Amino acid sequence: MGAAGSKLEKALGDQFPEGERYFGLENFGNTCYCNSVLQALYFCVPFREQLLDYYSNNKNLGDAEENLLTCLADLFTQIRAQKKKTGVIAPKRFVQRLKKQNELFRSYMHQDAHEFLNFLLNELVDILEKEEAAKSDPESSSPSEKTANGPTNGLANGVRKEPLVTWVHKNFQGILTNETRCLRCETVTARDETFFDLSLDIEQNSSITSCLKNFSSTETLNAEDKFFCDKCCSLQEAQKRMKIKKSPHTLVIHLKRFKYIEQLGRYKKLSYRVVFPLELKLSNTAEDADIEYSLFAVVVHVGSGPNHGHYVSLVKSHNHWLFFDDENVEMIDESAVQTFFGSAQEYSSNTDHGYILFYESLGAGSNKS
Amino acid sequence: MINTANGMISQSSSSANAQSPGLKTYFKTPEGRYKLHYEKTYPSGLLHYAHGKTVTQATLAHLKEKPAPSTPTAPPSSFSASSGVVRSAAAKLLGTGNGSRTLGFGGGNGGSKSISGSSRIGSLGASSSSTSMTNTNFDGKGTYIIFNVGDAIFISDLNSQDKDPIKSIHFSNSNPVCHAFDQDAKDGHDLLIGLNSGDVYSVSLRQQLQDVGKKLVGAHHYNKDGSVNNSRCTSVAWVPGGEGAFVVGHADGNLYVYEKSKDGAGDSSFPVIKDQTQFSVAHPRYSKSNPIARWHICQGSINSIAFSTDGAYLATVGRDGYLRVFDYSKEQLICGGKSYYGALLCCAWSMDGKYILTGGEDDLVQVWSMEDRKVVAWGEGHNSWVSGVAFDSYWSQPNSDGTAETVMYRFGSVGQDTRLLLWDLEMDEIVVPLRRGPLGGSPTFSTGSQSAHWDNVCPVGTLQPAPSMRDVPKLSPLVAHRVHTEPLSGLIFTQESVLTVCREGHIKIWMRPGVAESQSSSSETVLSTSSKDKPLLSSKVVTSSYRQ
Repeated sequence: MGAAGSKLEKALGDQFPEGERYFGLENFGNTCYCNSVLQALYFCVPFREQLLDYYSNNKNLGDAEENLLTCLADLFTQIRAQKKKTGVIAPKRFVQRLKKQNELFRSYMHQDAHEFLNFLLNELVDILEKEEAAKSDPESSSPSEKTANGPTNGLANGVRKEPLVTWVHKNFQGILTNETRCLRCETVTARDETFFDLSLDIEQNSSITSCLKNFSSTETLNAEDKFFCDKCCSLQEAQKRMKIKKSPHTLVIHLKRFKYIEQLGRYKKLSYRVVFPLELKLSNTAEDADIEYSLFAVVVHVGSGPNHGHYVSLVKSHNHWLFFDDENVEMIDESAVQTFFGSAQEYSSNTDHGYILFYESLGAGSNKS
Repeated sequence: MINTANGMISQSSSSANAQSPGLKTYFKTPEGRYKLHYEKTYPSGLLHYAHGKTVTQATLAHLKEKPAPSTPTAPPSSFSASSGVVRSAAAKLLGTGNGSRTLGFGGGNGGSKSISGSSRIGSLGASSSSTSMTNTNFDGKGTYIIFNVGDAIFISDLNSQDKDPIKSIHFSNSNPVCHAFDQDAKDGHDLLIGLNSGDVYSVSLRQQLQDVGKKLVGAHHYNKDGSVNNSRCTSVAWVPGGEGAFVVGHADGNLYVYEKSKDGAGDSSFPVIKDQTQFSVAHPRYSKSNPIARWHICQGSINSIAFSTDGAYLATVGRDGYLRVFDYSKEQLICGGKSYYGALLCCAWSMDGKYILTGGEDDLVQVWSMEDRKVVAWGEGHNSWVSGVAFDSYWSQPNSDGTAETVMYRFGSVGQDTRLLLWDLEMDEIVVPLRRGPLGGSPTFSTGSQSAHWDNVCPVGTLQPAPSMRDVPKLSPLVAHRVHTEPLSGLIFTQESVLTVCREGHIKIWMRPGVAESQSSSSETVLSTSSKDKPLLSSKVVTSSYRQ
């Protein structure tokens, strides 16, 4: 491991970015789902910086109760404070805390990296909202309702109820609009929902662009699946489409590679070849400009089935691509990213498939707070 | 090699079905059915481990005997076609019509060199002056497909129904990844091969076919062991009318100009590139050097290059998403622009040099106008990256006589979605695509209501930023057909067919409507099928008159 570290240092030479640390994470028995996502989050630089800022500003507030946020911040701090530039760190406290918090992750079974990411981000938001609630309104302890009741958050006019926007939201949250048009009365019902990531259905030999297009394509609700129109007061045929109303700063795309196959009565891994570009634009948004994104991390699932296998991650840091496989960190060429697209044939020796993609917005005026 | 058409078709379709279930062996267009005629691939002995490491590209090569000095040939006009892939002449656009053989040899105007596109005519003309036909593989037609798979180059006879190649050349040091053929080579060497290691070879195709071994014979070696540039070759091209000059694009954004006749013994060092982000041309200090020039074009890989038919312009596309067009002899950047997003992977010129097609990682087929110096249309229809684009210069516009106000172009594209798409581009004098996408929401454009940005022609040498989605008129494909089970890497139009190439080394040959049924070795037949009175159409006429 030490040798691998020095190898990476040698490979980077004097191009080793100042202040940056490339550390592998020890595996405590099937914790690669956790390690791969943690690496991607660590190299989501705005997220890392905001987490560390928040932590250093709030550490001294007395309340020293350990939670996932403090564990994550401790881990990131620990990585960044390393004297060596490369090496291995054991994310022991974080993993212990995670297992304590959620029994799903307690077993030594193979876990889903996407489920973990989702759980972690929501957990962080919960912790932040609780802390915020405790700060602004010590009596009220209900985190979800508080902004509806409370006159807080500088909304002097109080016209709209605005849920608390934490730095986690600022990094990952986008808004989808679910538009349903009743085919009888033509009324359009729009419903907004927030998301931290987009879960996309995938097809063989397609691209992320195409999957995104399908995601927001128009779908007809009919037969068994009619829509209850409030105006018509009855079930009607309708057309439904999803539009991105607000694009997130960090766009996380989850490819639905694990599909429940009814005939088999179990989940199956789809090894489809789905190409993802290093730059991407969301064109089906309600926003005026097409926002450009750049790929900076990929969580890769290795293996042919859903219940076993391995997770690794590819990370772009300071224009170099790095390959993180638990303890090991290697430099790879940008062109190697395309070996993780998937296979055009069902049975292939290549089982390393891009599973979660992290794109950061390149657009000007994005939040740098 | 005269085969009954029926036998060939049934054989090819059965094998196609065995290999690729669910794929149809034909597709329909307004002018009729394109039928899968046969397939070409490499011997099955080559194991799958080679797959994925290289992407198969295909080059067409037509071997003809050089006309004797007394034979009247077209003067060295600006219209000398070059590389195997793009060497089809647009007789249609020049108003002479396809297959104007007498004109081609006797005329002596620029357009007469359309001979370079219509291979059959060339071979017929050549056979009269042919002196030696030593190669047993040479069937008298002499059109070959050269393609790379793994560590080998394979050569197949386009006009034979054999699936397997007639020749394979193995490389021990590195994998061949790109190649080009010079139709107008003055002396022996007409085939270029670029390697993953950066090395480049030039050879005589005929000499390879005559040799029985599995090694390259009589090769000139350039950039030996990557001594000039050790990054991957991404594309090679002969300079049209360039007297044996050729260019090689590399994965590090540099392009080198070589001369095939020149011994590359001299020192070939180039000055350090001062600014990686800027275009610059450098010449070596020693006159003996080969390469004779280095063009630093972009950061990241050059993915594809293409010369305009007359050799005046060189187009490049690359990892940075930019199409760049250079004045080749002046070594100057003329214009260019960025993709919607992501890298551009392929590019091709229209025969008249007015348009450039590009395809890339935004799933779009882009039409660039040289006149307007901007993107004039986006073709939406691929479900994955666009890996090959080409104009169909053999396609003749329906009802082209009389109403000459609009010019129509037919082009094709292939993608990693395993599909072939055909498109019609209709341009009136003021360049507005008439066929717009049916996808709702995007505003329609007329000549009057375009934005100021749209009307401005940018100054020479500036690159346009990526247009926004709603500023570019959309095209919809005429035909979208799934042709392979693997992602595709290229397509080539010939007079009789469309060739589709997949990354893994399978090539399918789709006969144009009316050609497959009457396929024969007679060039007379080919001439008649290429004219407007296609057998299919005339047979329809007969049927209807019979009913009356």
